[in-house]
Amino acid sequence: MKNRWRNKALGYCFILPAVIYMLVFIGYPIVYNWVISFQDATALTLRNTNRAFIGLENYRNIFADRTFIAAIAHTFIYTIGCLVIQFVLGFLFAIFFAKDFKLSKTIRGLVVISWMLPVTVTALVFKFMFSQDSGIINTILMNLHIIKEPVGWLLQGGTAMWVLIIANSWVGIPFNMLLLTTGINNISKDIYEAAEIDGATKTQQLFKITIPLLKPTIMSVLVLGFVLTFKVFDLVYVMTGGGPVDATEVLSTYSYKLSFQLFHFGEGSAAANVLFVCLFIVALIYLKTTTNEES
Amino acid sequence: MDEKNRKLHHKHINQEQGRIICDIVAVLICITFLFPLYWIVINSFKLDSEIFLSRPTLWPHRFTLDAYIDQLPVLKTTLKNSIIVALGSMLLSLLLSVPAAYGLAKFRVKGKKLMMLIFLVTQMLPASLVLTPLFLTFSRLKLLNTYWAPILATATISIPFVVLMLRPSFLSIPDELVEAAKIDGCSNLSAFFRVVVPVAKPTLLTAAAFSFVFAWNDLVYSMTFNSSDKMRPMTSAIYKFMNQYGTKWNSIMAYGVLLILPCVIIFVTMQKQIVEGMTSGSVKG
Repeated sequence: MKNRWRNKALGYCFILPAVIYMLVFIGYPIVYNWVISFQDATALTLRNTNRAFIGLENYRNIFADRTFIAAIAHTFIYTIGCLVIQFVLGFLFAIFFAKDFKLSKTIRGLVVISWMLPVTVTALVFKFMFSQDSGIINTILMNLHIIKEPVGWLLQGGTAMWVLIIANSWVGIPFNMLLLTTGINNISKDIYEAAEIDGATKTQQLFKITIPLLKPTIMSVLVLGFVLTFKVFDLVYVMTGGGPVDATEVLSTYSYKLSFQLFHFGEGSAAANVLFVCLFIVALIYLKTTTNEES
Repeated sequence: MDEKNRKLHHKHINQEQGRIICDIVAVLICITFLFPLYWIVINSFKLDSEIFLSRPTLWPHRFTLDAYIDQLPVLKTTLKNSIIVALGSMLLSLLLSVPAAYGLAKFRVKGKKLMMLIFLVTQMLPASLVLTPLFLTFSRLKLLNTYWAPILATATISIPFVVLMLRPSFLSIPDELVEAAKIDGCSNLSAFFRVVVPVAKPTLLTAAAFSFVFAWNDLVYSMTFNSSDKMRPMTSAIYKFMNQYGTKWNSIMAYGVLLILPCVIIFVTMQKQIVEGMTSGSVKG
């Protein structure tokens, strides 16, 4: 009895330091962020311990700003664009690389390297490739006679968002492929053999076996993808800085600018909380699907 | 019989052809996806003048290290800062997350589900959400422009990931092994260090690699907390450089090469474990 109690105590000694760390450095800041968002927190009041509470003033200010409303829309456009591309292509790649040919495993393992690289560098190399004067994309498209003269892809609002989505897909497609491959490999080969004997075609097998059995994986890949994409910061900040003329401003860059360029900490916190609420709703769905899976 | 054989033969040839086509398609995909990496490396060896040719060259006319040499003084400080922050964050993260993963795998404690949930949720939260409050707190504690600020902040990225990644591999260590060590007179704690750690060594190395890379790759925390030239790490230095000299692409790519170098080395040397870890750490334990 005593031994078991000691065992339990030791278990807590192992686990709690990490839990407490996360509560101190993530949990507390989340609460503090809500407090700041109701305060008059600017560069002037930065070091004050008791800043004045101003109610919903910060929220009123940001919602009155056109750029903020646009940033919400941009964040959703970016996220949905990325999700569609990375999921569809990631799924096709996963099915393709699940085939048995010589290079399948080697190349599948190689292309996921983009996930390990600093987003800052990814952003810069895509900015370079899509630049107007020295970008290789313009050269390729001009050689193929698709465009007549160099295009400033990142200098126009309409195309800049697409370049961001493409750059993110460079990481997103292989990552989605990897997660979906794990799911596909978990499906028993016997089911396919049985279907083959019954005369099912490959397309039938895809729609009647692979996709239905993969549904839980697909759900969590989509929701995880949403959460990871929705909070984008580095990529947008480095590639466009939210420009040209706010055309690619997203919630995180908008919040960052308020806090660390204009030093309106209260409004910056309020904008970050709007981002949080959007994510919170999706995270709830995610947790529900994963716990259902487990039980 | 002959007819059937011929059919089989045809089918075999078709399969063979199909495989070759698959190989070709796979190589094309590989080239497309690895091209940006090639582009970073190759352009870091070019001269300014070559970058602005109206036709970009796939191979430099003349290899030069100018882009690297130009940046040497800045590189030295920022490289040192990046290494200190990444190593510090890695040590802190391992110190906390390895025991936590072990505890969650091998002990019967109350509230296990809740604690797993805390890791799962905190991993998904955006940095933007904690950035302002952490900045205000660190500013009051006088931690801005010290190594502590980015180390403490980036550890929050790797701790949940490592816990979720390591737990399954600790679960797979048989209880009998730990029990046997205890019978041999080891305490619970020394059983952990003498039996569990050596057995889980490959996964622990992967965990170390991930926590190093997460801190090394960080831009937003370091850029916000450490803005002085002396304390700036490479990621925010390359960003600042781009803002000042937007078109010096060879120098920017030279920074890029040094930044991706540790990630590529880690990826190549422990590819199998890294790829496995990516799945188990991102999804759930």
